[in-house]
Amino acid sequence: MNRRKFVILSGAAVVGTYAGIKLQKPHLPPLPDGPPGNSAVAILRARSYSDDLVGRMLEGARQCGLDARGKRVLLKPNLVEFDSATVINTDASVIAAAVEVFHRLGAAEVRIGEGPGHRRDTLDLASDARYFAAIPKFENLFTDLNRDNVSPVHNFAGESHFYFPNTVLAADLIVSLAKMKTHHWAGATLSMKNFFGLVPGSLYGWPKNKLHYLGIPESVVALNRRFRNTFAIVDGIVGMEGNGPIQGTPKPAGVLVMGRDLVAVDATCCRIMGIDPEKIDYLRMAADLGHVHASRIEQRGESVASVQTNFALIPEYQALRLA
Amino acid sequence: MPIPADLKLFVESADLASVGSLYLQTRLEFLRSTQNPDGGWGYFPAKQSWLEPTAYAMLALQGTSGSNPAVERAFALVRSWQLPDGSVRPSGNIQEGTWVTSLAATLASTRGVYDGNVKSSVDWLLRVVGAEHNPVMRTASFFNLLKTKLDVSHEGWPWRSGNAAWVEPTAHALVALKKVSKNYPSAELAYRVREGEALLLSRRCSDGGWNCGNPNVLNFDLPSYPESTALALLGLQGRSSQELAGPLSVARRSRLETKSSLAKAWLAIALRCHGENPEPPAEPATATGSPDIMLAALEALAHPDGNHHLLATGGRA
Repeated sequence: MNRRKFVILSGAAVVGTYAGIKLQKPHLPPLPDGPPGNSAVAILRARSYSDDLVGRMLEGARQCGLDARGKRVLLKPNLVEFDSATVINTDASVIAAAVEVFHRLGAAEVRIGEGPGHRRDTLDLASDARYFAAIPKFENLFTDLNRDNVSPVHNFAGESHFYFPNTVLAADLIVSLAKMKTHHWAGATLSMKNFFGLVPGSLYGWPKNKLHYLGIPESVVALNRRFRNTFAIVDGIVGMEGNGPIQGTPKPAGVLVMGRDLVAVDATCCRIMGIDPEKIDYLRMAADLGHVHASRIEQRGESVASVQTNFALIPEYQALRLA
Repeated sequence: MPIPADLKLFVESADLASVGSLYLQTRLEFLRSTQNPDGGWGYFPAKQSWLEPTAYAMLALQGTSGSNPAVERAFALVRSWQLPDGSVRPSGNIQEGTWVTSLAATLASTRGVYDGNVKSSVDWLLRVVGAEHNPVMRTASFFNLLKTKLDVSHEGWPWRSGNAAWVEPTAHALVALKKVSKNYPSAELAYRVREGEALLLSRRCSDGGWNCGNPNVLNFDLPSYPESTALALLGLQGRSSQELAGPLSVARRSRLETKSSLAKAWLAIALRCHGENPEPPAEPATATGSPDIMLAALEALAHPDGNHHLLATGGRA
């Protein structure tokens, strides 16, 4: 039996398992058109973290028609690793600006929550990422979602009872403050993949292996299907290219990308990164949730072409490069 | 999360002679003051009780002055979370048992409890195997079709039944099984210990320590994590010092370099369980404590005068 035949025979049984198997990508059929209407996505230039991020975000929120008045807002950054010298984590300045923006937009409450996928020492991680230093009253705003009180939701991820942190379940609006990075399993990690951190490690482990078994793209889509009251602000001021999401190298893209349709935001980010969004599995699977087609995304602020900069891809993912 | 004013730990103008004792006592006092009415501990004050912080708080407090009633109440709560299949739930409102069954068995052994309930937990641990240990994955590994350099031939333990084996749950299961092995000796138990050790040894990173599970992804070597390295060393107690010389060296170095308080504590516990005597942590003149209950418990366990010996297995099974 040659390798190809073996994969065909066994692939279906093991897709999504923790080690993953090298599968030959089949020819991709055209994507469906997506939900009715178009989606607004704002691209704001921000060349450094010392720019007026509050002003940029307020402009982006206006361009996307965001209404946060009276809402309990949960900001979900991407806090992953102890490595303040690199760009693994959402920058503290972006989170601090978002806290101020949502207060100015009239939110009833603004909280910050994260459940890192590998490291268990969330508070020390946050300290190392300068969150305590840069975000006023961070200690009062933050919840470690890995170790929060939890409640069950029914029939999620193939389980009759799946548990989420109460802080997540209580939020009226979850804002994905993701980092613009390549990802060695998913191709790219952006606002949708960031929702892995909503799943509590206290139950599902470090990493959250249940999500691997369900399949990474499948899990990304399931989480985004479950949590629909969302908004995205992707930190692409300095992203990560190469062997992301942890071992890659910094890649300045000089943008914040914002929108209510997380599928459209991530598709836009991919185009900025020089990645074909139609080749990212979770975006294909989420085509009924939001817009992947450029023709259905109303670009506000900068154009994709004006900020596009190819992110380096590991050899495994060269085929994702936007033609 | 707010830190209640009365829970802040202050060590002010501590003279060097008393600093060690203060370090330990402030943490033990923090644990005594944060026990929930149901007898357990949350990960943070006033949060729901979970087995993991409860287990470490119990171990830290065990045998300390005036802590007996608190520890007894906690143990009763842990016992109440056991399911008919022998597994133990991680918290009162969770329906299924998980890897924390290992912690429950370890707790029982430290208290000299070896009854039918504990045996039932041990039997559950012996039934649970990482799901990657299956014919399809093993064949894929044989044909070099995995995206990781990973030996899937050994039987370790997952976070939850039906998932893959990882370093941390495997290490906890090894500690538990080694600690109860004299009371529940069996060929199956000895086999699973050997297999679990083999799994850990096969998953060492190229730098000598352990990541969460994989040592390599898509031909990129992953770096070791200090806390995973510490836990793997706990699970490998009883292996020869020659075999573990490299990982122990990584552990010593990581303890000095890591920014993670949790990792520092786990590494100190692991090194002490391997007969070493690392320096106690340096204490600043004024220290504000963390609200993290599990961290406080592990730091107390890790102290030279702490109960780290409760996690010693006394060798292999």
